[in-house]
Amino acid sequence: MTAAGIPLRTGRATARRMACLAAAGRLLRLEFKRNAVPYVLPLLAAVFFFNTVRTADGFPPVWTLRASVITDHMLFEFSAFAGGLAAWVGSREGRRKTIDLVAATPRAAWARLSVTLAGTLSWLLLAFLAGVAVLYIQTALQATWGGPPLWPVFVGTAAVIVVAMIGFTCGVFFPGRFTAPLVATGALVLYQTGLRQALGVTASSGTHALLSPASAQSSVDTGVYHHVAPDLSITQVMFMGGIAVALFGVLSLAPELRQLASSGGRTLLRAALAGADGRLLRAVAVILVACGVAASWTAFALAGTAKPDAAGGWEIPALHSAASDRPVPAISACRSSSGFGVCVHPAFGFYLNDLAAALGPVAAEIAGLPGAPAGAKEVASVNGGQDVQSGISVNPPVFEFTAEHVGSMFGQFYGSQRDPVGWREGFQQGLLDAFLTGRPPHAGPVPILLGPAQQAVEDALLTAVGSQPLSAGVTSAGVSAAAQRFATLSAGARRAWLAAHLAALRAGKITPAQIP
Amino acid sequence: MTAAEVLKPPAVPAGAAWRGPSGVRLAWLHLRSRRVPAGILALAACGALLHAALHWHWAFNSGPYAQQVPLIIEAGAATVIAVTVHSPFGETERSAGPWLPCLRLLAAAGMCGLAIALLQLGAAGESLNDGVLVLARNVIGITGIGLLCSLVTGGLLAWTLPMGYMAFCQYALLAGWTAPWTWPVRPPADRGAWICACAVFTAGLLLFTIRGPRTRLSDPS
Repeated sequence: MTAAGIPLRTGRATARRMACLAAAGRLLRLEFKRNAVPYVLPLLAAVFFFNTVRTADGFPPVWTLRASVITDHMLFEFSAFAGGLAAWVGSREGRRKTIDLVAATPRAAWARLSVTLAGTLSWLLLAFLAGVAVLYIQTALQATWGGPPLWPVFVGTAAVIVVAMIGFTCGVFFPGRFTAPLVATGALVLYQTGLRQALGVTASSGTHALLSPASAQSSVDTGVYHHVAPDLSITQVMFMGGIAVALFGVLSLAPELRQLASSGGRTLLRAALAGADGRLLRAVAVILVACGVAASWTAFALAGTAKPDAAGGWEIPALHSAASDRPVPAISACRSSSGFGVCVHPAFGFYLNDLAAALGPVAAEIAGLPGAPAGAKEVASVNGGQDVQSGISVNPPVFEFTAEHVGSMFGQFYGSQRDPVGWREGFQQGLLDAFLTGRPPHAGPVPILLGPAQQAVEDALLTAVGSQPLSAGVTSAGVSAAAQRFATLSAGARRAWLAAHLAALRAGKITPAQIP
Repeated sequence: MTAAEVLKPPAVPAGAAWRGPSGVRLAWLHLRSRRVPAGILALAACGALLHAALHWHWAFNSGPYAQQVPLIIEAGAATVIAVTVHSPFGETERSAGPWLPCLRLLAAAGMCGLAIALLQLGAAGESLNDGVLVLARNVIGITGIGLLCSLVTGGLLAWTLPMGYMAFCQYALLAGWTAPWTWPVRPPADRGAWICACAVFTAGLLLFTIRGPRTRLSDPS
């Protein structure tokens, strides 16, 4: 070898590498052009609009809540089409009976299949990320606080990849006309079963179902007062990523496994793998399978250690960071009308005017009475892992409610569009419930109903501010009669009677007949 | 060899003269070319999947969620029927005889009936939300969509539109839609839903019988 030969050889190697890359690029471009996914995109877009966009529109514009549709709705349609189309593409060589023909090409089967898989995955991920962009842009235009959460996007991307990998592998190993629809059906059944199991998961019943990417949000203000710990998302990505990597390794063993199957199992796997050619490739494939299985197994084991956290989510001790337990700093959005201040978290600032308009008249009816609140404030709906119920704090007296629980109503901050009158009266009733029982805000189950006299007074006060008592159809005749009597009194007379009898009323010592 | 031997017509196969078995043979060849035996196995697998889903409570027991998993499996059975319509012979087969439309009609209708029977068998002894009437209506209607889709996409991709319709109906179930064309969300005895499902099936079956699925020279077997 001469010194002059070294740069010449290096130059040739570079040129060869460039030629290889150019050939791979050409293959990929052809795959992009010929792939079946773009033809199905209009159908996928239509389903995405109905199932995902319209569902998200029904939620208040809170980032975490809107992002939950990515895993709870969007993945549904993407599972069906990603699985089915990947199986369709993967079964191409088998369907067209070209396996023997392409086996003689200089490229390894893995390289050939990788290009096909890359083309399909690129289209699917492009469609998926475009859908996420639509959701997030829409939310950005409406949200009053916060920013886009990224972990649901990572989980969704991993789920699309793993479903496509499963479909593609099924297509390669079981090519046929039934593979694509059966894979799509199987993917959807798996998705729904995972959702069903994840919804019913408890710490005592085992937490492996949390590996399902589809799971319902715990409450409407998740991620608003406390960060959503990424523990579960990391585990889900690890689990699905491990499966995808293992299947990618299995794909490179496709010719050997086919040979094994065609010989009816007479050839040992070890003998099939021990062929002289492509030994390095097979070694890489086996390593990939081992790494994928190890990652998935680790994620499975980690999911089994999950336990409920104080903010209503799940934490995994091995992955948990104490930083995610700290409250999210935010300055409340407040409004004061006629001395009664109403404050909500800025994420729910779009409810502030409606809320002040709902609570103001009722607050004016009871203003100045012992224990009457000087204002209303929204607090976190979960504390110490338990639901927080509304009530009036003692010092200073402020009506504290949550986005989930106001009096006996729940899910109030999910929206007021369907029944704005009922929504408004729910807050008024919640305020009066707390005032007439003297109940402070507390963690635990939904509070018991009011006593008959308390109910009559509440109905009368609601009638006085022009609202329909919510319990009109279910109260007894005695309660209704007492409410009517009390409502016909002048505001001053009602106030005077309440000032004198409020303690007895709260203690349940007054009957409806004693109400004037 | 003499000229007489060469000119002697070949012996007619014994069975060819008998009309009955030749008709049966024609039907059997038609079904085999469409992979119907494998399709029946796939339908049986759908029935088994439905049985497993109901037995081990993979689905919710009541409410709109309870219909989700059975609907997916019913749509899966319908897509299996839709992909069996693909012919490996394409144009060539159309000039082979007058029986092709009848064979198409019988194969599609027979597979649909078989799918309902196998799914009902899978649900036997388990609590299927809304019962066999909704199951049958879903299979009939979604098969109709699949047959219509095969006229445009060809048989092999005829599963896409039924899957899209099913995904839409999942939303309609949860959003409480009541339109009759979303028949999976309607009660078992709803007349409008039955009319819509049967109309789609009839239209699909008729057009499929007359025209056959779209075929291309590049179609694989």
